[in-house]
Amino acid sequence: MRWLTLAFLISFQALFIYVSLDLPDRADPNAPANVHLSPEFVEQGEKEIEIPNLVTAVQADFRSYDTLGETLVIFTAGLCVLLVLMRGSRTDDRAP
Amino acid sequence: MTEPHDSLILHFIVRAFMVPFIIVFGIYVLVHGEASPGGGFQAGAIVAAAFVLARLTLGREHAVNRFPTRVLIWTASLGMAVYLLAGVVPLFFGANFLDYSQLPVGWFNNIATHDETLRARGIFIVEFGVFLAVLGTLGILYDYLTERYLDD
Repeated sequence: MRWLTLAFLISFQALFIYVSLDLPDRADPNAPANVHLSPEFVEQGEKEIEIPNLVTAVQADFRSYDTLGETLVIFTAGLCVLLVLMRGSRTDDRAP
Repeated sequence: MTEPHDSLILHFIVRAFMVPFIIVFGIYVLVHGEASPGGGFQAGAIVAAAFVLARLTLGREHAVNRFPTRVLIWTASLGMAVYLLAGVVPLFFGANFLDYSQLPVGWFNNIATHDETLRARGIFIVEFGVFLAVLGTLGILYDYLTERYLDD
């Protein structure tokens, strides 16, 4: 069983290495990930928002839904900790 | 958790140097988020680190009574409300959800030192909301996980 797992992992790794040979180089401007939305973000960010930091522009303006979701996740985590660890004043009275 | 230490040197260093400088650096990271690396998440984490440091070393009298846990809960809620308002308010001005270009903050250019587009103003409002939410949430996490300062 152990050798079967090892053979499976090695073949899977070989598949990944074989596939990764076809990936585009880093920072390749013609890569599929860089030709769809990124040029529009760069152009509109310079033209319409006029702030120097494009990362902030993309994070808080173009991807504002995403940032809203992230903040809600953090806020909800805090509220869950609060609800779980809160010293209840009502449940203590009717404890069995 | 260990109790706050009574060392005079520790109190002096923390109160006079570390906490004020950490908070000032956090606000710097917040307001320069449009021009340099930084933003609401990072600034909130930095200022929350200052709060946690004060709670660790100074104890109840100097750290918690000035900023108790319920204030942190209100801070986090206020930050979330600021972000959601920045999303909802443009709906009443004929724009989409979170479309900052229709936010009614154009009057701010009259009193500011330099003009910026409305979308840049909206980005700062949103970053400020994120800052308050992260700051309050990290403070809530620390206070409730240590449970040292909870009996208000």
